[in-house]
Amino acid sequence: MWTRVNEFDRMFKTMDMLQSLFHNYGLYRPTASRGGVAEVGPRTNLYDVGDRLEIRVEVPGIAKDNLSIKIQGSYLEISGTRKTDTPEGYKAHRIERGETSFTRSFTLPSDVESAGVEAALKDGILTLRLPKVEKAKPIQIAIG
Amino acid sequence: MNEQKELTVSEESLSAQNRQLPTVAPFVDILENEDEILLYADMPGVSRDDVTVNIENGRLALSGVRKMKTAGVAGWEEFGEVEFRRTFSVPQTISIGKVNAELKEGVLRLRLPKSESAKPRQIEIKAG
Repeated sequence: MWTRVNEFDRMFKTMDMLQSLFHNYGLYRPTASRGGVAEVGPRTNLYDVGDRLEIRVEVPGIAKDNLSIKIQGSYLEISGTRKTDTPEGYKAHRIERGETSFTRSFTLPSDVESAGVEAALKDGILTLRLPKVEKAKPIQIAIG
Repeated sequence: MNEQKELTVSEESLSAQNRQLPTVAPFVDILENEDEILLYADMPGVSRDDVTVNIENGRLALSGVRKMKTAGVAGWEEFGEVEFRRTFSVPQTISIGKVNAELKEGVLRLRLPKSESAKPRQIEIKAG
């Protein structure tokens, strides 16, 4: 009888192990740059910081000149190209980062002031600060 | 299925520090010519101080930790705080002392020069 209890134990331990391996699977995977049915493009995060929106995009190995950001009202479009940065004359054993171009567009949760948008590229992360239009900013309501 | 197995929740398990950073393998390009091997790894958002490159016993271990400043309320998050980690077997022909590493634009670029004795040489055949 004890051996049968151990079998269940082993099965549950394996299930727990598999579950912990796949916990959050997909959230932290690096961007697939090639292959697959649909190219999703680089990963992005959007944050709402009260009076502005902040968008971060993973764009490793892409220079400023190869990125283009377009804004109109609440529509944002980010596109870019990554050229190969590997030098000529080498034999390639493995190429997983590729030459790609991408375009991703978003409808932002609020309208933004296109004139006040700032963009910074650091360590392969593009950060956009998008100030909201006046009427989209949060206001404090006083209780009378 | 709920992952919590404990019946009671103790103080320690509530601490945020106990959360382990998820590990992800970065995409790499590996190239070789007569003189050296190049390895480029994508590690966006990782700063120089958080990268370690370790070569020991023929194994090259890369590790880069990406930390993120929290900002407001997340609308969506497709990438998060991770550790980029990958190991490779390195051939004997590499001169470990001359390995060069550079982190720029979120890409870690390694140059692994081959030792002189390993470079291909033409052997001259003497007549007579």
